[in-house]
Amino acid sequence: MRKNLCIGLMAGALLLGSCSGDIHPSGSIGSLPPMEPDYSFVTVPRNIAPLNFSYTGNGECALQVEGRTIRGKDGLFSLPERLWKKMMEKEEVEMTVLVRQGEAWKSYQPFKIYVKEAIDPYLSYRLIPPGYQGWQKMGIYQRDLTSYRQTAILSNDLTDGNCMNCHATAGGDPSKSVFHVRAAHGGTMLIDGDSIEKLNTKTDSTISALVYPYWHPSGNHIAFSVNQTLQSFYNHGHDRIEVYDMASDVVVYDIRSKEIAWSPLTKREDRFETFPTFSPDGNWLYFCSAEAVEMPKDHKAVRYGLYRIAFNARDMRFGDSLECLYDAPAEGYSVSFPRISPDGRFLCYTRHGYGNFSIWHKDADLWMMDLETLERWPLEAANSPETDSFHSWSSNGRWMVFSSRRLDGLYTRPYFTYIDEEGKASKPFLLPQKDPNAYYKRLMDSYNLPAFMNGPLKMSKHRIVSEIRESPGTDVKVK
Amino acid sequence: MMDRFALAYREQQQLFLFDKTYLVQCLFTVGGLATLSARFVVQFFWNPATAVILTLALLGLGAWLLWFSVRDKRARWAILPLCFIPFAFLAASLSENAMHFSVLTAWLIALGALCRYSCIRTHRLIRGILLTLAVYLAAGPAALLFALCAAILDFYRRQWASALYVAVAFAAGFGAWLLAWTPTLKAAWTPAFYFDLDTPMPWQHWIPWGVLPLTVLAAEASKPFLRRRLLVLAGSCAVFILALVPAFRLVKEAESRQPGITYEYEHYATNEDWDGLIKACRSHPWIPHTAQYLNLALSQKGRLLEDMFKYDQRGPTGLVQMSDDRGVSISQAHIMFAMGNMAAAQDIAFNTLNSTEGLCPAMLKMNARIELMRGTYAVADKYLSLLEKAPHYRQWAREQKSFLYNDAAVEADPLLGQGRRSWPVLDGFAMFGNPLEELLRVVDANPANRGAMEYALAYMLLTKDIKSVTALVNRYFGQPGLETLPVPVQEAVLFYSEYARNVGGADVMGPDWCATHGVTRETVRRFQSFQEASLKSGGKAPKGYSTSYWHYLLYKEI
Repeated sequence: MRKNLCIGLMAGALLLGSCSGDIHPSGSIGSLPPMEPDYSFVTVPRNIAPLNFSYTGNGECALQVEGRTIRGKDGLFSLPERLWKKMMEKEEVEMTVLVRQGEAWKSYQPFKIYVKEAIDPYLSYRLIPPGYQGWQKMGIYQRDLTSYRQTAILSNDLTDGNCMNCHATAGGDPSKSVFHVRAAHGGTMLIDGDSIEKLNTKTDSTISALVYPYWHPSGNHIAFSVNQTLQSFYNHGHDRIEVYDMASDVVVYDIRSKEIAWSPLTKREDRFETFPTFSPDGNWLYFCSAEAVEMPKDHKAVRYGLYRIAFNARDMRFGDSLECLYDAPAEGYSVSFPRISPDGRFLCYTRHGYGNFSIWHKDADLWMMDLETLERWPLEAANSPETDSFHSWSSNGRWMVFSSRRLDGLYTRPYFTYIDEEGKASKPFLLPQKDPNAYYKRLMDSYNLPAFMNGPLKMSKHRIVSEIRESPGTDVKVK
Repeated sequence: MMDRFALAYREQQQLFLFDKTYLVQCLFTVGGLATLSARFVVQFFWNPATAVILTLALLGLGAWLLWFSVRDKRARWAILPLCFIPFAFLAASLSENAMHFSVLTAWLIALGALCRYSCIRTHRLIRGILLTLAVYLAAGPAALLFALCAAILDFYRRQWASALYVAVAFAAGFGAWLLAWTPTLKAAWTPAFYFDLDTPMPWQHWIPWGVLPLTVLAAEASKPFLRRRLLVLAGSCAVFILALVPAFRLVKEAESRQPGITYEYEHYATNEDWDGLIKACRSHPWIPHTAQYLNLALSQKGRLLEDMFKYDQRGPTGLVQMSDDRGVSISQAHIMFAMGNMAAAQDIAFNTLNSTEGLCPAMLKMNARIELMRGTYAVADKYLSLLEKAPHYRQWAREQKSFLYNDAAVEADPLLGQGRRSWPVLDGFAMFGNPLEELLRVVDANPANRGAMEYALAYMLLTKDIKSVTALVNRYFGQPGLETLPVPVQEAVLFYSEYARNVGGADVMGPDWCATHGVTRETVRRFQSFQEASLKSGGKAPKGYSTSYWHYLLYKEI
């Protein structure tokens, strides 16, 4: 008898639970609900992990979507995997947040999420405290975008707490990757298929070891900048930090011959050259270049324009002339991080008032250039009043991930925006988490250099760490 | 034997959070239970006495666990003193802050497992292997100690197969290394696991790890003699007392290796116990690092200019020292904050925020305050929300949260409002050149900032730049930051006035100017007396003026 009673009670509880979908709002609130992150009217890829979010108003809350009602737990709406997959089969999904006011439920204005083509399944990034100068722990991580799973590619607790930076893959292929390890065990780590090699990239002819990388589409060359970079903290209340180059050049490294080459036009005494990028056909090397001035005294006078030079990968030869695509200094601006869409049509760059390290400039915004017409426009829907900077294209050219400080003005977070055929951006969405509001508020690291990958890096951490710790490294040569 | 302030400093190298993510992150690593339990204990170390009591209690618990594992019914207490020996050496090891407190909790876990193992009667081998693996996961290489001690205990019972535990512990370490849970095999197998990862571990830290199995061996070896209880007890006590000698020596060696952080000063500065700090510093203020803390405390009490020459000042390095290495100097962050140079304070405070075991609470508090001054409330909220999860800082964080998104409250607050008004107007980099230039920018932005004004004048006084002192007084006397003139400043101004008149008739700084700029008749009278006494002393410092600025100016070499 007692057993039957228990079963009856359990069945009743289950029924009650399933009846939670039967909330009928007795009135409406004429605004969108306050929520974190703001996922209203964003465009998302079909294969993204569920966009859980929190209602940040007061009171009991619920979410109505696809005929189902999900109760908020401390304001958090956790979207069930199966329901999310069903939602992602549609072109658009409408959601309504309900809130209990006294005995009655009121509904906020409904909002939509638009669903578009799939995104590359992995994202790589570095997690590091937002770059003053100190850190205790940092690492390069990879995140499965179809779930919430994050794994470390490498963390510096395995390499005596040193700095590691500038990871880059060849067209999103993690089996062709490069990153630098600084200080103890320093060197450039090159992963090529199943092999990993440590390179000593400082030469007598270059001003520093290799820095900002970009892979040639052939996978045989990597363009790098070499920079003498310094960092200073502003004494006033508006800005925090300026990162600036005392000198910089652009070079290309040949993976097969282990040689570095450059053009006199990419290594000029009277100019700072940086942020190299190859065109998708591999025939052009794009980079930013500024007139050299006395640093750091005149750091606010440094403005970079966008240039390109022809490049022949077969014999590592450069063209005889530079082509200026955007004379930003003439307009009182500076450009950084040029990145070209996989179809070669658009070039996205960061525009800001001066300097090259746009991540510390609140005025930094994403701009697009049509490489056929050289027409330029801001990605208005994607930009914010805070820093919007480092960006990377998806392999299908329809998505872009970029770093933004819009959440709190200091800690960079990865946002994703859909780029339509006209090169216009949609309202971006923040990298989903199980409980994003709590996660991002608690996280004391910035997401640095987010970039898409077509899968996870499979090389074991042990192998990478062993090479870093034990290999003396191979010296690169100058061609 | 244990420096209570060094122990208390451990509390500033972590922020224990009652937060699911934090707990899970700590727990799910090799040695996670040892790390988590150590951090839990260390959060109470903000009180140095509590730090000592808790540490001694845990060391005592360890000795008891060891005794429980090796005790014999025939003479229960006779070998107890012997069991304290490894813990005397472990205490010595812990006196170096680079050795993490988790080494102690790891030992406790290993010895707890040894106690449990000593009670197992059936399937000892398989249960011993499982215990070895569990201890490795929970406590790291301390599992080797468990394995070794268990094997020694069993050897005396002729159970040779227990040697397998040692092999299992080594295999667990090898596996941890292959899975990149530890950076090196050395870290996977040795006490280096518990030492700062970027610092080579001195050999002395091996000693307790050798002494523990030796103690188990000795305890087992003494059992045939246990009928003579008193003899064993006396021997056990004697060995323990003898062992204290090298243990003390190890403590001294560890102290000599400590970085240049003076834990006592830091404790008082962190807890804003300025009287305590003055008391701690006043015996040797000629050391620049000590003088910096002393002058910081005087500044915080609003007595920097008035009292600084009561102590043996030896130049501007006793006030502030610019360093290229901004990552290790918490004291510099305190000093910059007191100077009102919030950008420099934050530059250092952020770089010092991440300590060996987590976030440094004092630096997190400083960052939160500066973010409130900046008006970047979302970042301040982030920091305060973290501090709210730590019981010792909860109340403070909640009080500070009342300033969030409330500009009027921030501006009305004496500290935050002062900081907000003191951001320099002119563009420039912090900590880029002379500290005085940056101080003057703060004073320019907010002449009411008494801390900045005091530090600026103190810097000029210590560099003997009395011309600049006079110029600053001329510009700011009567304003909120300089309503009255502290005696040493009066002395400097008066001296410059006299000097200027003698060399070129700069009458603008004459007696009338001095009288209208805060120089009292009493100071003028004393100056006359000082001049007369100086003439009579024949070039030597006249008696009775050793705490005057004139004495510093004329008779101190800097």
